[in-house]
Amino acid sequence: MKKTSSIFYWMTIPAFILFFVFHTLPALQGIFYSFTDYIGFGDYGFVGFRNFINLLNDGRAFDAYIFTFKFAIVSTIIVNILSLLIALGLNAKIKFKDTFRAIYFVPYMLSILVVGYIFNHIFTFIVPEIGRNLGIDILSKNILGNMDLAWVGVVILAVWNSSGFNTLLYLSGLQTVPDELYEVAKIDGAGKWDQFKHITFPLIAPFFTINIVISMRGFLMVFDHIMALTQGGPGRATESITLLIYNGGFMGGEFAYQTANAVVFLIVVLSISLFQIKVLQKREVDY
Amino acid sequence: MKSLSSIMTVVLVLVMLVGLSAAGFAQEVELEFFQNKREAVETFDKLIEKFEEENPNIDIEQNHVPEAETVLKSRLAKNNIPDIMGLGGNFTYGQIADAGILKNFDQASYLSNTQTAYQEMLQDLHEGSTNYGVPYTANANTVLYNKDKFEELGLDIPQTWDEFIETAETIQENDGTPFYLTFKDAWTIMVPWNFLAANLHGENFIEERTENETTFKSRYEEVSEKLYKLLDYGQDDVFGFGYDQGNQAFANGESFMYIQGVWAINPILESNPDLNLGAFAMPVVNDAEENMLVSGVDTVLTMNKNTDHPEAAEKFIQFLLEEENAQFYIDEQMTFSAVENVFQEDPTVVDLKTYFESGKIAPFPDHYYPSGMQVPNLIQGFLHEGDVEEFLNTLDSEWNKVQSR
Repeated sequence: MKKTSSIFYWMTIPAFILFFVFHTLPALQGIFYSFTDYIGFGDYGFVGFRNFINLLNDGRAFDAYIFTFKFAIVSTIIVNILSLLIALGLNAKIKFKDTFRAIYFVPYMLSILVVGYIFNHIFTFIVPEIGRNLGIDILSKNILGNMDLAWVGVVILAVWNSSGFNTLLYLSGLQTVPDELYEVAKIDGAGKWDQFKHITFPLIAPFFTINIVISMRGFLMVFDHIMALTQGGPGRATESITLLIYNGGFMGGEFAYQTANAVVFLIVVLSISLFQIKVLQKREVDY
Repeated sequence: MKSLSSIMTVVLVLVMLVGLSAAGFAQEVELEFFQNKREAVETFDKLIEKFEEENPNIDIEQNHVPEAETVLKSRLAKNNIPDIMGLGGNFTYGQIADAGILKNFDQASYLSNTQTAYQEMLQDLHEGSTNYGVPYTANANTVLYNKDKFEELGLDIPQTWDEFIETAETIQENDGTPFYLTFKDAWTIMVPWNFLAANLHGENFIEERTENETTFKSRYEEVSEKLYKLLDYGQDDVFGFGYDQGNQAFANGESFMYIQGVWAINPILESNPDLNLGAFAMPVVNDAEENMLVSGVDTVLTMNKNTDHPEAAEKFIQFLLEEENAQFYIDEQMTFSAVENVFQEDPTVVDLKTYFESGKIAPFPDHYYPSGMQVPNLIQGFLHEGDVEEFLNTLDSEWNKVQSR
């Protein structure tokens, strides 16, 4: 048997130790605390599954799950449609292509908190001004102060911010599609829509999968957007799971209880991601 | 020449060694002073400078971060506790005191120079009646009003709830905005709420609620209804604007009154130094003699009981409590002092002085609600929906839920 070069161990083991100490260990610690009544400091005792049972009866956590899923699904759909369209446009032979690419990517590089305050200003002053001038009643007030509409404001910020990144992924996908296929299709008399449906889309399917999984996971974790725009308000209309964990755990002195919530949330996000990968990979093709 | 340079080198090395050991002998004590008020950073810096002049071997490092309470809690989780702390006298302080990491001040001579009312407010926040901190300053909820605009309409400070509503109606009849409400920021709702609750929720509400002898439903109906009534007198879109915008708008004279704590006075005057403003206690009941001002401990000074330098830390706390320094602090910060014989004389808040003198002071009710309930957001939701009964039921069920965890 050929001896494996020790250099490979030198490449993996340091990273493994770092990952274990700073990621795996805290996660395990969190799971441990979810079975206690720890408030974040001081003494604590074990309470078994009490935190998890209380969680089942917590209407507030339930509402937070509903909001988080509503937000994540809507944002994922809009972001993916939008960035696929932008990517198709940028992949065509147009002028100023690189400039456009750079401009679309800029929002992704900005800190959400900073952008959030700008959007806050837009929703507070600029949108109502436009709404009043156009005589649209619903827009003439700050939508972030409206229980039924505040989540739309969060979606707008999220979509604007993250479309650039997904566009980039789709672009790199589009560049893997060989030009010959389109030429052949043209000879066969396929129209633009048929080309997209039968060549482009199936061939970039792996990128579609990864885009859906990444954006869904990211949006389920939504935090900064809400912190900057509404802090979960009005009432609890825009309270996401992560915000609830933060508010209850750190501000509310329910460290152990919200850690239990986090453990449940981890399992939920993990299962959704695995499910998506499984379903979406089935329909990927290989020419 | 060569020998000269080598001698120089030796001399230099010697000088450096002596310098180093001298610095070592001076034994500078370094202490961290963690405090939660952004607007007080400069004032504390000035006081620290003065203190360090008097005590050259103590170095006080002020540390202020945004969301100070959250940061402090996560530091406690890591057992990384600041030496000296200036905290708000609220539910979080009680939790920290209960965790058993703060010094016991019962025997401290300087504690008796502070007002007992505020000491008791702090004791009520945690178990037992030990003093885990020294009250330093007090703040108050107020109704700020634009004196010039009041004069234009010939209005006086209202003394009863009925007069209060009448005043608001007169303003509306003259096409003015009575209140600028900033209910996009849920916490700002707590200012009028605390006035209403403190005056209306009756004796020992918190104790009895904790013992399950009473409910929000039986004690808070009037509180909720009166709060809801205020919405009639706000500007357009009361849920669209937050605290910063409210300060700006009131400074620009967009409303006659602005329900905020005294801490808003400085930011408002910063954006409009010419504003002629005053402050009065919101009249909640119809017997003017009964009305109480809501005032709580703004800053409580305390220290880590296991600090490496207890004498130095205590020295700093004692220094801050000296009458001269306490006066300096409240003059700069427009707050009230918990130190005896130190009074706020600023004309803006002169109408509040009678409450302090006669002791008609009630603590902030919300400092005793478990913070896990997030009462501000519950109230914000109620003001959107307007269903008093459902709201009171929610308060009770959330209280029970949080207590049972």
